[in-house]
Amino acid sequence: MTRSAFTALGALALAASALAQHQPDPAQVAAGREKSAICAACHGPEGNSQDPQYPILAGQSWRYIYNQLKDFREGRRSDPQMSPMAAGLSQEDMIALGNYYEAQKPERIKFQFDSAKVEAGRKVADAALCPMCHLGGFVGQNEIPREAGQWPQYVKKQLSDFHAKRRTNDAGNMTSYTANLSDQDIEDLSQYIGNLGP
Amino acid sequence: MSSRFVSLAAVAVGCAFALGSSVVAAQEMAAGATTTARPMSANLTPITQSMLDNAAKDGKNWLHSNGNYDNTRYYPGKQITSENVSRLKPAFVFQTAVLESMETAPIVDNGVMFLTTSFNHVYAIDAATGEEYWHYKHKLGPIVTVCCGNNNRGVAISEGKLYMGTIDAKLVALDAKTGKVLWETQIADPDKGYSETMAPVVVDGKVIIGTNGGEYGIRGFVKAFDANDGKLLWTFYTIPEKGHEGVWAKDDATGRDEHRNIDAEKAGFAKDSSFFDKLGGGVWMTPAIDRKTHTIVFVVGNPSPDLYGAIRPGDNLYTDSMVAIDLDKGTYKWHLQFVPHDVWDLDAVSPVILTQARDKSGKMVDVAIHGGKTGHVYVVDRASGKLIRFSEAMIPQENMWVLPTKEGARMLPGANGGVEWSPMAINPGLHLAYAANLHQPMTYSVEEVPYPGGKLWLGGAFKVIPTEEQWGQLVAVNLDTGKIAWKHKTPQPLIGGVLATAGNVVFNGEANGWFKAFDAKDGRELWKYNCGAGVNAPAVSYMVGGKQYVAVAAGGNNQIDSKRGNSVFVFALP
Repeated sequence: MTRSAFTALGALALAASALAQHQPDPAQVAAGREKSAICAACHGPEGNSQDPQYPILAGQSWRYIYNQLKDFREGRRSDPQMSPMAAGLSQEDMIALGNYYEAQKPERIKFQFDSAKVEAGRKVADAALCPMCHLGGFVGQNEIPREAGQWPQYVKKQLSDFHAKRRTNDAGNMTSYTANLSDQDIEDLSQYIGNLGP
Repeated sequence: MSSRFVSLAAVAVGCAFALGSSVVAAQEMAAGATTTARPMSANLTPITQSMLDNAAKDGKNWLHSNGNYDNTRYYPGKQITSENVSRLKPAFVFQTAVLESMETAPIVDNGVMFLTTSFNHVYAIDAATGEEYWHYKHKLGPIVTVCCGNNNRGVAISEGKLYMGTIDAKLVALDAKTGKVLWETQIADPDKGYSETMAPVVVDGKVIIGTNGGEYGIRGFVKAFDANDGKLLWTFYTIPEKGHEGVWAKDDATGRDEHRNIDAEKAGFAKDSSFFDKLGGGVWMTPAIDRKTHTIVFVVGNPSPDLYGAIRPGDNLYTDSMVAIDLDKGTYKWHLQFVPHDVWDLDAVSPVILTQARDKSGKMVDVAIHGGKTGHVYVVDRASGKLIRFSEAMIPQENMWVLPTKEGARMLPGANGGVEWSPMAINPGLHLAYAANLHQPMTYSVEEVPYPGGKLWLGGAFKVIPTEEQWGQLVAVNLDTGKIAWKHKTPQPLIGGVLATAGNVVFNGEANGWFKAFDAKDGRELWKYNCGAGVNAPAVSYMVGGKQYVAVAAGGNNQIDSKRGNSVFVFALP
């Protein structure tokens, strides 16, 4: 796997994130809170999922949540549990849910990190250019999701699905970027990302 | 080579493209609002159609983003000349509230300057001193979809109104005197990938505007709106519902084999030819208007998805083409396709310039010219749409037209060109066109991916080659011969645009902050000033109180990731 040197990377990433910060719309947040009752069963209170197979939604970019719900509804992304959940959502519902979850505070997961894997994962992230889209610290912006502090098991599944083209709803960008990652790289990267939580 | 450019451009597929947008967090004024700093100057003049028509001879004002309806970017005044430009000094700096890419070409109306910033702010300021009159900030909707930055290239002005296209795909009309919104209309659905960054053009009571979105599976267009109330008058779709397969051309307009598998494409087309509404074809920059023949001439962007061609068999008309349509009704007149069935994103972006040049028999004729990402300046007969000549390559070309592969195939130019959106300028007396070029070696890789529903859809990736040097080149091309008259190499790729003046000067800015003046005939560097941030916008010139000024925005640029700034720099002779 190639490495590239970008000395200015961190500074660039931080600059971009400062500019791209979104303020959730309070009216949307309130509407989304009401609609989210059913989601808590899997995604946890305020979107802080306690189960590694269901992603944390707290603090996630609203536009990313909106896009995923739209893709589940329209069949571009498929999951036996999420597809029926999204089937009945309107555009207003999806915007409201996105804003609600973006406004929630993510909590650190209870997970035993392997420090060797975390460090190896940091090197994978730099070489694969992840922060260019996901920004420094994997905080995300707009349609690029926040990954910092996400359940490693969930991240690993998504990266593997992108790599194997089981998930294609991002028009192949992530497939391209995971093309050269080994299973070990993905394992290490997932731990690194999970450890970036609050 | 700067590591800054390596890092940014290396992510071409992901981030250089996929920055959607949000409202900037820390702003003191409410969005959709105008603040007034001081009463508008009494000199502000309602701009009549006659003034817009005669802009090419008007040395006092700068009334179109590219100087005039012909897009020549040629300023007729001669107070600043190649003899005295070395004495040019800053007159003032105007600092905006937005630290992000600036691509604006300011408009100047009788000493009042109107400029725009990223995220669709508009400022009205005194063009001699920089003092602010008013500041408008557009209220963005919840969904904004932009591939390449939240920038804006400027307003159009007519009869006391300003017109701006917004990144959430709206057209806004402001009162030039107060900055208040007169009307606003939704041009297209941002959720499908539509947005606006271009400066519109106003003519005969119509506001003409194209669209972004060729990276998102949109159906491109040029639309005309009523300048008084924003009603849609007509739409010309750059993708015809039937016939977009064209003539199954083997070669590009310069006669080079594109290695198309026409049989496979025809078989694919027979199975499914219904993809016209996702075929792309944005119109990125201000169209030129031929007033004599009532014709709008413009160039069309790439097909969607950029790299994965098998899903869109056929020539993909009218992508990567120069197109002429009727001004009054928006009906088709002619087209010339530069790159049929493009799988390299080498689309036609830089605005068309209307001028005169010698045809193949040596006769002087009306032409339409375009500086391509391919690295050529094309000279097209304006009446028939036939190609008269194409220039020598302005930057290195290698391996054209190798097909993208899964692992990545190297080809020059890279996907940003050549000439990107940067407007050229011409010196009509010298018959020279001046083009800002990029040299960014890239590999092109392809992925078979389905339509992702309004998200970025490249069908692969462009990846910069970190071990190869990147640079830029300002090139003067003789339109009658296609030969390069002179060239000036720059340490970073060029993006922004050129200004030429009757004083025999050419102005061009660079990513490293240098704003330079050159001798129009021989390209000698005559003057430079460092603005402290990337000068990646086209300069303009005008006069106030008998003094000539040159103004340029120095806000850096998202695409080449040059240092960001927030200011317009204005220069004059001491």
